[in-house]
Amino acid sequence: MEQGAFSDWMMEYGLKPCAIAVCFVLVALLWTFPLQHVIAYPFVFLFFGAIMGSAWFGGIIAGSVAVALSTLVVTYFFIPPLFSMSVAKDSQSFLTAFFVCAIAITVVSSARKRTESAIRVARDQLEVKVRERTAELVQSNLEIQESERQLRMLTEAIPQQIWRADAGGHVEYGNQHLIEYLGRPLEQLTGQLFFDVIHPEDELLFRRGWHTALESGGNFEIEARVRSAGGVYRWFLVRSIPQRSAKAEIARWYGIHIDIEEQRRAQQSLAAAQEQLSRLSHTLGMAEMAASIAHELNQPLTAVVTHAYACREWLNAEPANLAKASATAEKIVQESTRASAVVSRVRALFRKDVQVRESTDINWLIHELVRLLRDEAIRREVSIRLELAGNLPRLEVDPVQIQQVLLNLAINGMDAMTHSAGPRELAIRSKKHSDNEVLISVEDHGPGVAEEIVGSIFDPFFSTKPQGTGMGLAICRSIVEAHDGRLWLASGARGGAMFQFTVRAQS
Amino acid sequence: MTTAQERVFIVDDDPAICEGLSNLLESVGIAAEHYPSAEAFRERWDKANAGCLLLDARLPGISGVEFQEQLREAGLGIPIIFMTAHGDVPMVRKVMKAGAIEFLTKPFQKEELIHAVEQAFTFDRARRREAETVDSIRARIDTLTEREREVMTQVTAGLLNKQIAGDLNLSEITIKLHRRRVMEKMRAGSLAELVKMCERVNWPRTEASETS
Repeated sequence: MEQGAFSDWMMEYGLKPCAIAVCFVLVALLWTFPLQHVIAYPFVFLFFGAIMGSAWFGGIIAGSVAVALSTLVVTYFFIPPLFSMSVAKDSQSFLTAFFVCAIAITVVSSARKRTESAIRVARDQLEVKVRERTAELVQSNLEIQESERQLRMLTEAIPQQIWRADAGGHVEYGNQHLIEYLGRPLEQLTGQLFFDVIHPEDELLFRRGWHTALESGGNFEIEARVRSAGGVYRWFLVRSIPQRSAKAEIARWYGIHIDIEEQRRAQQSLAAAQEQLSRLSHTLGMAEMAASIAHELNQPLTAVVTHAYACREWLNAEPANLAKASATAEKIVQESTRASAVVSRVRALFRKDVQVRESTDINWLIHELVRLLRDEAIRREVSIRLELAGNLPRLEVDPVQIQQVLLNLAINGMDAMTHSAGPRELAIRSKKHSDNEVLISVEDHGPGVAEEIVGSIFDPFFSTKPQGTGMGLAICRSIVEAHDGRLWLASGARGGAMFQFTVRAQS
Repeated sequence: MTTAQERVFIVDDDPAICEGLSNLLESVGIAAEHYPSAEAFRERWDKANAGCLLLDARLPGISGVEFQEQLREAGLGIPIIFMTAHGDVPMVRKVMKAGAIEFLTKPFQKEELIHAVEQAFTFDRARRREAETVDSIRARIDTLTEREREVMTQVTAGLLNKQIAGDLNLSEITIKLHRRRVMEKMRAGSLAELVKMCERVNWPRTEASETS
């Protein structure tokens, strides 16, 4: 190894430069001989070329060897006295100049050569680097493509509808689920056209929410019905979040539609079941109470009847047992009194001796009612419109009872609109009726009250509903009358029923 | 045995009802006792009691319907008249199927009650007579010897003296002797009567069975 390295070193720095120098100088010498007969003055310029070539191709060592060789050859062959190593006096300066020039050429040429080589090496390295970079770029490009493909597959695999829109809300991409559900190509989903698939009843809210989100750049989330390709509406949770650019401007919107139809249905059927249950328990309570009252009354009555029979038997006996008959008659009196006490007790149960009267803001009561009714109204697709007058005097009422009246009238109004096709609107109004009375009206857009039953609707146990107790309006009227007010039926502007009642204001 | 006086046992939680019913029954000459609950009645219960039970279907504690079931399971055949302020059809069907005499809805007419009570008493008399007969047959069977019982079993099964003699490994004369003694002890005038007696007490299958 050591040997090999040394011989390489010898080759690189000994033999090779020497050989190059010898070759160049030999060529220069061979060319100079014929040429010196053409040019009178000792001609040495070709040696400069040889030195330059040696230094260029063999480096500084070859250059130096060439300088030494050239100096010797020139001194021997071309400096008088010719063919001798001695130098004539007048040629000394020429030889010195030659020598100096030769050294300079060597230095310059080898330096040039070194720079050239360094540049070449640098260029080669650069090329390698460029090649490496390009390979890396290609690789990362592939990776990006792969990850994008995976991402796309993911968006297609998610059983939800996904889309991407530009800053203005124009849809650029939608996954297969979305396109299949809506049944139209992406180009038709951009911009305003997107609102076409939203249910008309949800559209206003949807538009408003979307515009707010566009302006504020906040998240957008809304539940709305979206029409499918088959024309069927299903409930979706539409959610969209903005992606911001480096300058904090919105660059894109990402949206997802989650199908909540089943959830909605479950919610609605739950609510319906709850309502039915509460109704049922209400009527059940009534039935049980009636049964219990009947039982309470039946016991003493049975005793009275049996004693009465016995009394007749004692009197009819031969001879009549007057003592027994009299004792039995006494029992009849006792049991009759007991029956009467039961009746009084039942009556006391239903009578409210304590009257509650609180200073109340009727508009506040109505707002409270609307809050109570919100879910019910949404479920029945009824919108509630309020027209409440300001500056109404405060009322001296039992707020719970008045709210019960309002609730009853509102539910009646909603019931009346169950089969209405048109916009289901329930209007609740309050206004000043006279100086010391406030008028409240509840109007529906149902079919109104039939002519032949107008006279009976306030009667107890009168009902047009299969599950109705027929007590609602009767109770309402008695509550209103207990408040020195009146409750009556008027015709609504659009043919529906309008119930109105007055309540005396606080004096 | 038949000396026990027939009476109506009223079970109702309302004392006014009990008093009224007792008074009415007494006025028409029917003895009555009343209890506020099924439990109170059960404590005083005697198998020799004659008459019927006038039972409120809805009682505190054990309900009338449950009590009927308990009595039946205990093999007590006293007839029951139900009464209630509000009888629902399934309940009526259930108690009637279980053997109630009548179902009265409060308040009821005197005639309804008296009629039901009389029906129940008639039923109870028949029941007690039946029970008495069964008891006396049992008592007679008890006087038989083991061999005599064997002979009776085979005779009532329709076997001839010859066959019985073969089965029991006895002479035909001996069988005839046993047979005559069985007829005497059982006070049976004919073979048919003996068979009927055995059928009544379910002889020889199950001895401990009450007829209802």
